[in-house]
Amino acid sequence: MSQSQSPSIGQPTVPAASDTLEYSPQPGLLDETRAADGSVKPGWQYLLQSVGDLGPEVMRQREHKARRILRDDGATYNLYGKPGSPSTSWELDTVPYVIDSEDWAGIEAGLVERSELFNLILRDLYGPRDIIRHGALPPEALFGHGGFLRACQGLQMPGEQELILHAVDIVRRADGSVCVLSDRTQAPSGSGYVLENRTVMSRVFPSLYRDSHVHRIASFYHRLRLKLISLSPSGDIPRIALLTPGARNESYFEHAYLANYMGFPMVQSGDLVVRNGFLWMKSLEGLKRVDVLLRRVDDESCDPVELRADSQMGVPGLLEVVRTGRLVIANPLGSGVLENPALLKYLPAISMLLLGREPRLDSVQTYWAGDHRDLAFINDNIRSLIIKNTWRGSNEPSVFAGDLDETQLQALLARIHRYRHQFVAQEKLAKSYTPAFNGSGLEPRPTLLRTFSVATDNSYTVLPGGLTRIGTSLDGQFISMQEGSPSKDTWVTASEPERAPVPGLAPEKRHFSGESALDSPPSRVVENLYWMGRYAERADASMRLLRTVFVMLNGEDPISADAQRILLQTVSEITYTLPGFTTATAAQLADPEAELMQIVRDGERVGSVRSTINSMLLAADESKELLSTDTIRVINDVRDALDNLDGDLAGGLASAPEEALDPLVTALAGLSGLTQESMIRGMGWHFIEMGKRIERAQQTIATVKGLMGTVSGEMEQSTLLTALLTSMEVLITYRRRGREKRGIELGLELVLLDSRNPRSLLFQLERLQEHLVELPRPGKESGELNAESRALLEASTLVKLSTLPQLLQVADQRRPELEARMTQLADLLREFSRLITDKHFDHRSGPQQLFTSFGGTAPGVLNAGLPGAGERG
Amino acid sequence: MRYRVTHSTHYRYAARVTSCYNLANVVPRDTKRQRCISSRIVVSPQPAVSRSRTDYFGNQAYHFEIQKAHKELVITAESEIHISDRDLDLNLDFGISYGQALHHLRNNRSQQTLEAREYLLDSPMIAASEELAAYAQPSFIPDRSLKSCVADLTSRIFHDFAYDPAFSTIATPLTEVLAHKRGVCQDFAHLQIGCLRAVGIPAKYVSGYIETLPPPGEEKMVGADATHAWVSYFCPDEGWLEFDPTNDTSASSQHIVTAFGRDYIDVTPIKGVIFGGGEAPVLSVSVNVERIED
Repeated sequence: MSQSQSPSIGQPTVPAASDTLEYSPQPGLLDETRAADGSVKPGWQYLLQSVGDLGPEVMRQREHKARRILRDDGATYNLYGKPGSPSTSWELDTVPYVIDSEDWAGIEAGLVERSELFNLILRDLYGPRDIIRHGALPPEALFGHGGFLRACQGLQMPGEQELILHAVDIVRRADGSVCVLSDRTQAPSGSGYVLENRTVMSRVFPSLYRDSHVHRIASFYHRLRLKLISLSPSGDIPRIALLTPGARNESYFEHAYLANYMGFPMVQSGDLVVRNGFLWMKSLEGLKRVDVLLRRVDDESCDPVELRADSQMGVPGLLEVVRTGRLVIANPLGSGVLENPALLKYLPAISMLLLGREPRLDSVQTYWAGDHRDLAFINDNIRSLIIKNTWRGSNEPSVFAGDLDETQLQALLARIHRYRHQFVAQEKLAKSYTPAFNGSGLEPRPTLLRTFSVATDNSYTVLPGGLTRIGTSLDGQFISMQEGSPSKDTWVTASEPERAPVPGLAPEKRHFSGESALDSPPSRVVENLYWMGRYAERADASMRLLRTVFVMLNGEDPISADAQRILLQTVSEITYTLPGFTTATAAQLADPEAELMQIVRDGERVGSVRSTINSMLLAADESKELLSTDTIRVINDVRDALDNLDGDLAGGLASAPEEALDPLVTALAGLSGLTQESMIRGMGWHFIEMGKRIERAQQTIATVKGLMGTVSGEMEQSTLLTALLTSMEVLITYRRRGREKRGIELGLELVLLDSRNPRSLLFQLERLQEHLVELPRPGKESGELNAESRALLEASTLVKLSTLPQLLQVADQRRPELEARMTQLADLLREFSRLITDKHFDHRSGPQQLFTSFGGTAPGVLNAGLPGAGERG
Repeated sequence: MRYRVTHSTHYRYAARVTSCYNLANVVPRDTKRQRCISSRIVVSPQPAVSRSRTDYFGNQAYHFEIQKAHKELVITAESEIHISDRDLDLNLDFGISYGQALHHLRNNRSQQTLEAREYLLDSPMIAASEELAAYAQPSFIPDRSLKSCVADLTSRIFHDFAYDPAFSTIATPLTEVLAHKRGVCQDFAHLQIGCLRAVGIPAKYVSGYIETLPPPGEEKMVGADATHAWVSYFCPDEGWLEFDPTNDTSASSQHIVTAFGRDYIDVTPIKGVIFGGGEAPVLSVSVNVERIED
């Protein structure tokens, strides 16, 4: 349920007249900046003073800078159910949430204790279940919870702690203490965003950050890494990978960010395979054993054999590998059971049983409908309560029952009564307020802090600070990333500068195996780089020809109908938007605007510039972890240019549409330059380059065939040759060399045979040969050339043996030799591409269930285990 | 009584299977009444890795992974089981009443009772409903002994429902079984479990085998036996007791237990994931229950 939204940060309202910023708390609300006596808390004095002195204008500039850094880093948070715009930029309010270290020490101690307690609960629930057997937790609260995975009974990992990462959402109460709203124990998200927020803030406010003596957070991530290394099942240095559901996941940005920061490859389930009782990652160099997985996939989806059978995100057989101790997964499978809010009600009793004392941190008052008295309370007070399904996997959103109409309320009550064990109710907790910059002034916003604990040798370490999220307005009480709530950096400030980081945790110290994680990315990532290269080049070639066509259509000298037809048909051919102009009537050819505009901007049409670039962006998302920061920035430039395309094209054909394409062409050129200049010459580079070369060769072939295959009048010939040379960027060279040879002959030589021209066909084939010899060659070496080498050799021989006069022979107004040769080359390159991708990428078809839990397959399968006839006399 | 049970499952695929990952529940577990003396599982083709373990429910789970291309998969489990002849106390009129049982389940904090409450809850294939409660209700009179209530329910299911292998698939929802009054042993077990849970009595699914006897004067055919399913319910004063709604009887020394679970999903004989295999694999199952000692 979303609340009414006020203007969000960054949409400046009327600028304040003064050039300083004042913050006044809202009377009657609990404000983080104020002590009980109304004075400004010591930790906030310096901050509010500094921000105040900066004034609104400077704050706006800083905010702008912050946004630019976030955007350059590709910081996004994907919102569900918003097709079309899959990612939303990460929102950061530039006023940090300050907690002084004395205050923090109390919170931290409570959080450490809570993580220890939750660890004991986890071990107990999948072990002896004393808390059930001794009556500290009603059986239904556990056994009726979807996160309790019976298949995980008895799983163990090295060390005392099973719960590796624990996130806790807390709010401040009027007496200054904090209260826990919820726990995240499945695959807690947010710690990557914390790192990004900190990086941005320390760059945007360098002196304020330095002078505030903010506790550093880097050691948290290093401790996490050390912990994961210590989990190695074999005791050797393990290969650790981060398991992500994929680019569509809401926090995919942070998965890639954390994986890169910690030096782990990022994998999806399709990159992994269980073989001979171990887990392996598919890389171009073959299978690489994986020992530890940092998991961002929900546990129930992880193994279709034993957990959810319909999961597409799992690895068949994974759980058994964990069970036999050959793989450790953090957080362990089954840990989602701790996210059950019904636990909060029984936490004091559970803590008495397991720790011998009540926990220091209070949890929000929770009513569990499985308890008769609580159910009665819920009945009587439902309008003032928030109703939650106890299992997040149910995907049932929490609702404030006061927002429901009578029908909805009755339906909800009926569900609660039917599934009593699966519902809790909580009171709406008043939150404390922190100042946020709204573009012109500082205003109070409700505030929620997510903290993070990581298991260390025998206890837990808490990240100093955490991920602060604020409401979108003063009265917006629901704070959720899915509702677009902005975040804040959280500063735990010391009165003195912090000591040097813990020895042994220095970031530069590398712990992983001698081979760099980047040496063998999953083959899926490399495949995506290959397609990224192809799509980028395809978009580039399409736009170059389109620009040329736009210029010619609008040119001073009108071009002939014949030339126009050939040009337009070639556009359809090379963009793969067939039939397009190839079946157009004369009238349609005379008025091509609508179709051309569609070819540029209709994202729904496969082959359009927009659709091709979108495909490229998708492929880039999938291989994000191999892209440098600069590359990600340039990709964002491409995305921005694409977003602006419609506006730039608004004038249609009449208003220089070629210029509208310039930003995109430039951004793509920047991307291409960066791959050349700053990408490690690993497999990723070879494949992105091969993708580019294959595509450019194909585009050149198609363009030559389209523009030169038909012979028309003198004038047309000249127009089409100019178009060819312009779109291939060799017009100037052509003019300079124009002395020795005649027009078309020279043009074709430049475009096809000149190995000094980086856009010529021969140039592409020569580069492809250089890449080909660098690819891994599984299997035995022999004198015999493999199929892809033969295809490539044949293609370049064909080109080299071509003579221009032969190619230019004319019969029946066509150039049959040229057309045949181009067709032959296109086929060879297509074959080459198929051979390369089949050989190096995994195209094994997806798994199917041998036995499906709930129908859908053949009756023969479904009868497994049913009695035969004659059972009952 | 001593039995040898041979349970063989045979899959034939339309296309090559390159690898598969499976979990089998085909070796009888130990129970109060029975002991599995020996067991052996043979899988063809030979698995790359295989392992037996005791699962959450105390059942014998057998995991295997095959990395050899194959078009046929055969899993044969051969087990010897000893079952106590002493039949359980069948005097239905004694023992705790239904009303007392409900009171006990609500208030008793003994470990056994707390743990039994797991089997009051809905499970993947069984959701308690008003229809099930309504069907069960006539058998459950608060003053009557719980055992006799359950026996009555068992009888009513036996008489009201027709055994019809043609009607049922694994996926037949309970509401349909109830509406059409037909099904196979698995449906009747699910139905009775649903009824018991709906009236507040914890109930488990039992998978296993039943010894069948040939018609008088005929030889028993090898492989003609079958897997079977029945019900176990929690009786607060006596523990878990088994009833067989398909045969209207309490479980006897001819009932050999393979596994207990919340429902069929927990004890599926063979499940898993295959790569390849094409459309519509063909499955055949043969079971032979041989009495080797009286």
